[in-house]
Amino acid sequence: MMTPTIELDGLEVQLGGRTILHSLTGVLKSRAIGLLGPNGAGKSTLINTLLGFHVPSKGSARVLGLNSHTSGKALRSLVGYMPENDAFISKMSGVRFVRYMAEISGLPSEQAMERAHEAFVYVGLGESRYRPVGTYSLGMKQLAKLAQAIAHGPKVLILDEPTNGMDPPARKRLIELVREIREASDICLLLSSHLLRDVEETCDEVLILRNGQIASICNLVEERRANRKFLELETIGAEASFTNALESLGCECAVFSSGRIKVVMPDSVEIREVFRVAADRGVQIRRMNHRRDSLEDIFLNAMEQTGAADGRL
Amino acid sequence: MAVYKRRYNSYTGSLTPTWSRFFVLTRFAFADLFKSRFFVLLLILCVVPCLGSAGYIFIANNKTVQLLMQLRSADFFVVENQYFIVIMIVQAEAAFLLNCWVGPVLIAGDLTNGALPLFLSRPFSRADYVLGKLAVLGLLLSAVTWIPCLLLFSLQSGLAHDGWIWSHLWMILPILLCSAIWILMLSLLSLAVSAWVKLRIVATGVIFITFFIPAGLGEMFNHIMGTYWGALLNFSYMFRIILERGFRDPYRLLDLSGRNEIPVAAAWSALIVVCLLSLVILNARLRARETVRG
Repeated sequence: MMTPTIELDGLEVQLGGRTILHSLTGVLKSRAIGLLGPNGAGKSTLINTLLGFHVPSKGSARVLGLNSHTSGKALRSLVGYMPENDAFISKMSGVRFVRYMAEISGLPSEQAMERAHEAFVYVGLGESRYRPVGTYSLGMKQLAKLAQAIAHGPKVLILDEPTNGMDPPARKRLIELVREIREASDICLLLSSHLLRDVEETCDEVLILRNGQIASICNLVEERRANRKFLELETIGAEASFTNALESLGCECAVFSSGRIKVVMPDSVEIREVFRVAADRGVQIRRMNHRRDSLEDIFLNAMEQTGAADGRL
Repeated sequence: MAVYKRRYNSYTGSLTPTWSRFFVLTRFAFADLFKSRFFVLLLILCVVPCLGSAGYIFIANNKTVQLLMQLRSADFFVVENQYFIVIMIVQAEAAFLLNCWVGPVLIAGDLTNGALPLFLSRPFSRADYVLGKLAVLGLLLSAVTWIPCLLLFSLQSGLAHDGWIWSHLWMILPILLCSAIWILMLSLLSLAVSAWVKLRIVATGVIFITFFIPAGLGEMFNHIMGTYWGALLNFSYMFRIILERGFRDPYRLLDLSGRNEIPVAAAWSALIVVCLLSLVILNARLRARETVRG
């Protein structure tokens, strides 16, 4: 049986006498896990606990079967971590900084240097690798942080708000990189963000936190598979025969005023069949909106529910 | 992840032993230090007194040179325990200066831009981190304290010929022990200051203050209370007491004001307490997370 990526067993973390994480329990098995929640939900605290920076006051957390507290060193030898805040040595050149970090992770000097160059070129900073990190723009610093997180070839990549402060093209590039890394190897990914799109584009499973509690654990792959496709149509000339024809294909139809029809489509039916049926019956489709339940819907639902420990949406 | 392929690959090669990784910090710190010409000059200046001392030993053991220099008093050139006390004091002061220049930047550079979580998110503990930084100062200060003193001891042993080495072999222990406590105290103190103060100039000032202000307060305490225990706050003086007793100086070369009544155990304790306080500060400051958000 495959070891779950993250297991939380009644995890409680107190900082400064205040309980930040309240009895988190759940199992996340996917290779790419998103950590979602509003500001102050406890995302960074959970990541720090998984890294062994915070000691749980109750319960435990395991990553790939390793207890974050009792096997912290073994666990951290598998991890590449990109922190949320600035984390660099300003006077060092980019490539030397990444080499330094790779050597601390245990790579011999020559391999560390080679991997540092490769990582820098890979994240797209090849031209800037000899410049001091302190002179980089915010987006470049984020990429340098990603380079140091992947240079030693970790088994678990933890990214805490990786797209913070990045402009849209840079954000798109970083998300593409994360997806490439995920697909090119057997690496496990834990991505914390309050940007739903980042998580939606990179993750298979989502842990949604609210006020230090689990609002939802949701397998996006299964949700996508289970969620039915919706078509919202605005038509001219649609009569009962049109909806009957669609229903004979297995669709469910709801007819509203002004020619508006909502069609719930099974997975087996393609959109072009709707066009074909409309063409056969001389129905004009003036507008079509095709959508599934998005992560935003899932997130908002989770936020509306209180104390849903592991509720599926 | 070959450069030309621009593709991510995991690393499957060999790894260095876990115990040796602290030395990566030391190696990188040395590489940075030796880029500074001022540091190289300071290091050279710190070993210059030892070169002079080597000349002294050469003259002390060479009657021809003494005659050529028309030196009448043979007692002037005596290499005994007091000679090594003086050398140790001079080199300890040199080590202090070197420490004031090197120590303040060692940790501050990592803390300024929050690099500490990057170190500690690896299989690398806070103890490894401190050990790596401590090794920088340990090696540097060794190079200007016990290593040249042992070399001078070897030189004297080689030139004296008359069984000098066997009658003075015991001096190796105080050379090593006194240097060890001085190096440890200076290193931990400057690392603790470096963890608190980010600006080099301020950190250097704080190290000086740590030595001179408590010493002044201790002196005031002695005058007011009519005692000598206030000297426990004078760390340089405590080191001298350890040195004098370690080298079995019957003449109490350094006892200028009668404060030598302080037991040597108390002097050791004072320096050890400074080391422990520095460790407490380092423990408080070296955290992967400084603040709790949310």
